[in-house]
Amino acid sequence: MKTISEKILSKRSGVDAASGDIVTVPVDLVFAHDGTLPLAIQELGRHPVKFPKSAVAFCDHASPSPSEKVSNVQTLMRQFAHTYGMDFYENGDGICHQIVLERYASPYKIIVGGDSHTCTHGALGAFATGMGSTDVASIMAYGKTWLKVPETVHVEVSGKLPKSVHSKDVFLELLSRITADGATYKALEFYGDTVETMSVESRATLSNMAIEAGAKVGMCAADEKVEAYLAHYGRGDEFTPLYADKDAIYVDEIRIRAETVVPMIAKPHKVDKVVPVTELEGQELDQVCIGSCTNGRIEDLRAAARILHGHRSKARLVVYPASRDVLLEALKEGVLETLLKAGASIGPPGCGFCIGRTVALGDGEVALSTQNRNFKGRMGNDTSFIYLSSPSTAAASAIEGKITDPRGLER
Amino acid sequence: MKIEGKVVRVFPSDTNTDEIIAGKYKYDELDLNKLARHTFESLDTHFYDDCKRLKDPILVAGANFGCGSSREQAPQVLKACGISCVIADSFARIFYRNGFNIGLPLVECESMSNNVTRGEMLNVDFGKGVIRSENQNAEYHFKPIPQFMQELLAKGGLMQYLDARGGFTD
Ligand code: SF4
Repeated sequence: MKTISEKILSKRSGVDAASGDIVTVPVDLVFAHDGTLPLAIQELGRHPVKFPKSAVAFCDHASPSPSEKVSNVQTLMRQFAHTYGMDFYENGDGICHQIVLERYASPYKIIVGGDSHTCTHGALGAFATGMGSTDVASIMAYGKTWLKVPETVHVEVSGKLPKSVHSKDVFLELLSRITADGATYKALEFYGDTVETMSVESRATLSNMAIEAGAKVGMCAADEKVEAYLAHYGRGDEFTPLYADKDAIYVDEIRIRAETVVPMIAKPHKVDKVVPVTELEGQELDQVCIGSCTNGRIEDLRAAARILHGHRSKARLVVYPASRDVLLEALKEGVLETLLKAGASIGPPGCGFCIGRTVALGDGEVALSTQNRNFKGRMGNDTSFIYLSSPSTAAASAIEGKITDPRGLER
Repeated sequence: MKIEGKVVRVFPSDTNTDEIIAGKYKYDELDLNKLARHTFESLDTHFYDDCKRLKDPILVAGANFGCGSSREQAPQVLKACGISCVIADSFARIFYRNGFNIGLPLVECESMSNNVTRGEMLNVDFGKGVIRSENQNAEYHFKPIPQFMQELLAKGGLMQYLDARGGFTD
């Protein structure tokens, strides 16, 4: 009678764990990036990295480096990774979470990232959660961590999503119901035939945004889709099926009918200020951004291209593929050509606009982005305004230069 | 463990890590004392100076304090400002863990933020779970901080604590 989180944490701690228990577990993968690793290196001090094969470093947040100071910080990271023989991802390789999905995450793994969106990897059945630099340092030094077994909220999504409505809209709908601290300290588990038919990429959007409701992890079952995803990346042998027990105990259950979900938008400056796109139609936009660890995957770029095909964007359009693989795929399929012809400026794989470190907004400017957060100042300017949406809504809005309902525009 | 200090600010619910320290600084500055000058910059330009004028200033906030990114710079800059303790209705998960990990005491005490005002002197007893306000002649209660977390604070943070214990004992 266990939830997915309880199953993983029981198996990995060797203790029959239920929600509320504190367990010590080995950590299979610990990673951090240019925003969080430098502080972890300081915290580590003279401790060596105990299991360098389980530790990975990424230069993705301020990438490619926009200043001498950042370059020097990145040099420190490079030397650190080299000293211990850790995997190191360079500027332009992509966002940490996308690369971890492609190359490291799999069912039953315990993954700790020095980044709050580490919950993304619940889409592959990993117990993956974000922690701060000191936790990252302690795991690098000792190879283990403490975890409190979370209570779980069961989210059941059933039915068929309408055309141009995506998992992003489903999560925004959920957020409008439970708010930004509706799942604090808890696990979200996503079920239902809608989730079963979703690609792993779409599930990763759900898991990615779990933290926006305060959740510790956002879990999906590891089914044939996960098996196929791992096989595609040459990691079929890492697959183990993983489902919650039928009689698992949940603290809450939320039901969403997919047919009733519409394109949703989060208004500035909070993720849970969510309204249907129809309420905001006509809002002028300076910039439209497609990418991030939430919606920078190939299916997101495809969805945008299906709408942008043959059009020219009125808003400034910025596209950052989530990883080198995503960029290559977009190149092969002709998606890149469509986006370029639509007026997009294509950035190197990485966080790009999302944190405003390499692409910033001007004073009072308004942006619509496919990312996960719209806090004041998030995109590098305290006086700007950020709306959040799915890639389809972003693409439709780019064409008009105004917030636009994507339904009916997709080819 | 006890702390006594004046309330330097009362912030509302959902105060996020971008507001505590803007993401744009964290790639440039590794010196936390310099970074601390930008604490709450977008909300309040006097925060740092006001903290420095007080002995053991206490920060009070509403629910979900520290939501958003995992950046440990957020609790770190508060500590570098001299904040002795943060009292909030509730904390975001990662911020809570980070706070104790770096030796910054955090107290979850509901409705404090509605009842205290800036400048008020508070006395906080972590082991007993009591906050005393002399001005109001009132006491507020919270769930006492577990012994091992008090030890963690006393040692100055997680790394120091683990080093003293020789790592994780299961
Ligand atoms: S894309 Fe944005 S949310 Fe995702 S890891 Fe990068 S900065 Fe964070």
